Amino acid sequence: MPRRRALPLWTLVVLLQLVGCLLSPCLEVIPDKAFRCMGLNITGVPSEVPNTTQNLDLSFSNIRSLRANYFASVPELQLLDLTRCHLQTVEDNSFNGLHKLSTLILTGNPFQDLGPAAFYGLTSLKKLVLVENDITSLNDLPIGHLHTLQELNVGHNNIASLKLPKYFSNLTSLRHLNVFSNKITYISRGDLDVLKEVNRLNLTLVLSLNSIQCIEPGSFAKIHLRELVLRSSFENFHVMRSSLQGLTGLQVNRLIVGEFSDRQRLVDFQSGLLSGLCQVRMQEFVLISFRGFDNNTDTLFNCIGNVSSIRLVDLQLREISKVPMFSQVKQLECKKCKFKEVPARKLSLFKDLRSLRIIKSKNLNSFRETFVDLRNLELLDLSENRLSFSLCCSPKFHNCPNLKHLNLSFNADISVTGDFTNVKNLLYLDFQHTKLVGPGSYPVFLSLQKLIYLDISHTRTHVKSQCTFCGLNSLRVLKMAGNSFENNKLANNFKNLSHLHTLDISGCKLVHVDRSTFDALSELKELNISNNKLLSFDPVVYKPLQALTALDFSNNQLSVLLDSALDTLPDSLVLLDISQNLFDCSCVYKNFLKWIKEKQELLQNKESMICHTPTYVKNVTLSSFDLSSCQLNVGTVASSVTMLLAAVVFLFLIYKYYFQLYYSLVLLSGCKHSAERGDTYDAFVIHSSKDQEWVMKELVEPLEGGTPPFHLCLYYRDFLPGVPVVTNIIQEGFLSSRNVIAVISTDFLESKWCSFEFDIAQSWQLVEGKTGIIMIVLEEVNKALLRQRLGLSRYLRRNTYLEWKNKEISRHIFWRQLTGVLLEGKNWNHEQVKLM
Amino acid sequence: MKISNALVLILVLLYISASTEWPTHTVCKEDNLEIYYKSCDPRQDFAFSIDRCSDIATHTFNIRAAILLRHSIKELYAKLNLIINGKTVLTYSETLCEPGLSKLIFCGKKKGEHLYYEGPVTLGIKEIPQGDYVVSAELTNEDHDTVACAYVTVKNYLDDY
Repeated sequence: MPRRRALPLWTLVVLLQLVGCLLSPCLEVIPDKAFRCMGLNITGVPSEVPNTTQNLDLSFSNIRSLRANYFASVPELQLLDLTRCHLQTVEDNSFNGLHKLSTLILTGNPFQDLGPAAFYGLTSLKKLVLVENDITSLNDLPIGHLHTLQELNVGHNNIASLKLPKYFSNLTSLRHLNVFSNKITYISRGDLDVLKEVNRLNLTLVLSLNSIQCIEPGSFAKIHLRELVLRSSFENFHVMRSSLQGLTGLQVNRLIVGEFSDRQRLVDFQSGLLSGLCQVRMQEFVLISFRGFDNNTDTLFNCIGNVSSIRLVDLQLREISKVPMFSQVKQLECKKCKFKEVPARKLSLFKDLRSLRIIKSKNLNSFRETFVDLRNLELLDLSENRLSFSLCCSPKFHNCPNLKHLNLSFNADISVTGDFTNVKNLLYLDFQHTKLVGPGSYPVFLSLQKLIYLDISHTRTHVKSQCTFCGLNSLRVLKMAGNSFENNKLANNFKNLSHLHTLDISGCKLVHVDRSTFDALSELKELNISNNKLLSFDPVVYKPLQALTALDFSNNQLSVLLDSALDTLPDSLVLLDISQNLFDCSCVYKNFLKWIKEKQELLQNKESMICHTPTYVKNVTLSSFDLSSCQLNVGTVASSVTMLLAAVVFLFLIYKYYFQLYYSLVLLSGCKHSAERGDTYDAFVIHSSKDQEWVMKELVEPLEGGTPPFHLCLYYRDFLPGVPVVTNIIQEGFLSSRNVIAVISTDFLESKWCSFEFDIAQSWQLVEGKTGIIMIVLEEVNKALLRQRLGLSRYLRRNTYLEWKNKEISRHIFWRQLTGVLLEGKNWNHEQVKLM
Repeated sequence: MKISNALVLILVLLYISASTEWPTHTVCKEDNLEIYYKSCDPRQDFAFSIDRCSDIATHTFNIRAAILLRHSIKELYAKLNLIINGKTVLTYSETLCEPGLSKLIFCGKKKGEHLYYEGPVTLGIKEIPQGDYVVSAELTNEDHDTVACAYVTVKNYLDDY
C-alpha cells in the first residue's frame, strides 16, 4: 500500500515544520474577539490573548498536553482550534470553565491519554471535530455527557465498528454523525439500536470511504434518518448489492449512494444493484459518480420508482433506463450524464413529474422527441448542455399544460418560432447564452401573454422589429444584456411592457436612446443600461421612470450629469452606479461634483468614478475631488476686476476726449512744423456757419478790400479739401495765421466745432505765446449763456474784446481797434509799404 | 524505484533542518528527462512522485501527492504557469473542487487534515515540450489562501519525437 509509505514522510515533514517554526506573536483577527496563534511553542494560553476572546486558533502549535483548567484565562471562548498541536494527553477538566464554547476542533492530534472527564465543563458544545486522531473505538470517547452536541466528526480514524455506545442515547441534540474514512467492515444488527430509543428524525449519518463488507439485514430496521451517505463505502459490486439489501426497514429523507470520481472501485452497474432499496422508505435518492452503465441499466428505477425525488449526478448514463409503471417520481435531475438526445419520450413515462432537470451534460446536443402528457410538469431545466435544435418551443410539448418554467440557457443554438401555443402558460423563460434565431426579427413571443420573466441575454439577438416584445403584456423582468439593436439605437421597443420591473440592456452597444423609449415603463424599478456607449443622460428620456430604485449607468461615455438630469432622478432611487464613465471634472460642473459628495450613500462603485478630463485631475476619484480648488482666489478676482475697470475707464476717456487727444497729437506735430510755415494769413476767423453772412459782409470785405489789405483765413474758402477738418483747423488755421478772430454769437456758443476751435486757440496761445485772440462779440449774445457755456466770461474779463454794434460811430471805433491789432507784427513787403 | 525515491526524499528532508528555503526534490531523473520540484510555500514542503516517468509522454499517468493542509479546501483551484527564460509564456487554470459537487475524494477537507492523492492525471497535451523550463503551480482555496505552491523544473531532451 503506497499510503503507508507516505506516512513516515509526512511525520518528517511535520517535524521539520515544527523545527522551523519560530515563536511568532498572535495575530489579532478581530480586535479583542478573535486571535490566531499558529505554530507556537507554548505551555499555556498566550498571555497576550485577553479574557474577552471568543475565537482562538492555536493550530500547529506544540502543546503536547492539556492540564486541568488550561483555558481558565479565556472563559468567553466560543471556538477553539487545536488542530495538530501534538496533543497526546488531555487531563480531566482541561476545558473547565468554557461554558460558552460551541466548536472544538482537535484534528490531527495523536491522543494516547484522554481523561474520562477530559471534556467536562463544555456545557454548550455543539460541534466536536475529532478527525485523524487515531481513535480506534467510539467507546473510548468520553463525550457521553455532551447533551448539547449537534455535530460529531470522527472521520479518518481507525474505528472498526459502528456499534454506537450507550452514551449516544444521552446525545439528544446530535444531528450529524460523520464516520467517513474509517475501518468499518461490518454493520451488525443492534449496532444502531441506540438510535431507535430516541426520536432521531434529524440525524445525518456519513459512512463514506469505509470498506463495508456486509450490512446485516435488520441493522437499519425501524431507524429514521434525515440523510445517509454511502459513497465509496463498498469494496465491489456484490458487496454493495448485498449490503444495500441490509438497509431493509430504513426510513430516510435522503439517501446518497455512489463513489468519488477519483475513487472508483465498482466496475460496472449490473442489474439488481439497487434491489435492496425496495425495502427502504425514502424521499430523495442520489446516485453519484458511477461509471460503466453500458449494459443492464434497466433495473435502475426498479426500486426507486416510488421515491419522489431522484438525482443522478456525474453518471456515465447514456440512456434513460426502463421506467416502471405508476412511478411516483416528482423531481428528477440528471447532472453531468452522457445523454446525446433529450430522452423526452421515455421521461414522459414519469407521469407524476413536476420538475425535470437535465443539466451540464456535454454530450447532449439533440432535442427531437416530444414530451407527452406530463400534466403536472411545471419546471423543465435543460441548461448548460450543448443543445442545438429548431422549432422551439410548442412542438416539443404535447399536453403539458402546467409548464411554467422553461430553462434552455447556456446551450449551443436554438431556432425559436412564434409558436408557443402548447406552452402558453409559461411564466419563466430563460434562453441566456444560447444563440437564438428568431427573436428580434419578428414578434415571436406574441402568445406568451402570461410570461413574467424572460432572459435572452447574450443570445446574439439583433432587435430589428419594433414589435419584438409584443404580446408580453405581463412581463416583469426582461434581461437582454449583450445583444444589439438596429442602428445601435433604442427606439419604441418597450411600448407594451407597462408592468416591467426590471430591465437589463447592458452591453448592447447602444449609442442613442430615443426620447419616448421609456414612456410606458412607469413601474420600472431596476434599469441596467451599463456597458454601452451613451454620451449623455437626457432627462427627457428618463423622466417617465418615476418608480426607479436602482439605476446602473456604469461604463458608458457620460461626462457629466447636468442639473436638469439630477432633478429628473426620482426620489425612490436607492442605488445609482455611474462608475467607469469619462467624467469631466472641470469647475464648470461644480454643481455635479458637489452633488456627488452629497450622495455618497446612493452611489455604487465610488472608487471607479474617476475624472477623465481635464488632464491635471486625471485618475482622481470623483469622491476625493477637491472642490475648494474651484473657489476663486480673492486677490485674483480683485486685481482682475480692477484691471477691467481701469481698461473700461481708459476706453471711456479715450472715447470722451477723442477730439482733445487728437488735437494734442496734431498740436505736438504742429509745433514741429510751425517754424517752417510762414504767416500766410493775418488772421484765422473762427465763426459759426450761421454767421457766415456777417463775416463776409462786415469782416472779409472791409478787411481784405481795404488798405492795407489783410488776408484772412476762412474755413469755407481756405481749408484744403481731402484733409481732415481738424488737421485743416490746425494746419491752415492756427499755424498759418498770426491772429485768431473769434466771432462770438449765440450760434457760436451753440456750435461744438466753434468751441473746440476756441479751446485750441486758447491753448495755442498758451503754448506758442504768439497768436493773439481777437474777440468780436456780436451784440445780441446773452452774456449769461456765454459765461455758462464756455467759461468764456473769465477769458473775456481778463482780455479786451471788441463789441460790434450797428451804430456808425461804434463801427468806426471797432474798425480802428481791429486794424490796429491786426497791423501789429505784420511783415510788410515793399509793395505794400509803398501803397501806404 | 519508488522506494529509492522515497529514500532520497527522506535523506534530503533530513539534510535541510531549519533552513528557510525548501530543498529541491527529484521526481524523475532518466536519460533524457529530468524533473525537479521545490515548494514555494514558505510554510511547508510537500511530497510528490510520478509512478513511471516514461508515462508522462502518454496521455494519462499516475501520480502520488501528499500534503498537510494548512487551509480548508471546500473549493480548490489550480493555476499553472509555464516559464521559459524567466518569462511566463502560458497560463492554465482549473477548478478541482467546487461547492455543491465534490467529485474528488479530498474536496471539503479541513485545515490540519492530510491530503493524499493517488491516481491518474491528464495533462491534455500530446507531448512534453522540449528544452529547459519551469512550471510554477499554485493551489488556492475559496479564500485565496495558498494551499500548495511549487516550482517544477523540467529538462526534456527526448529526441525521438
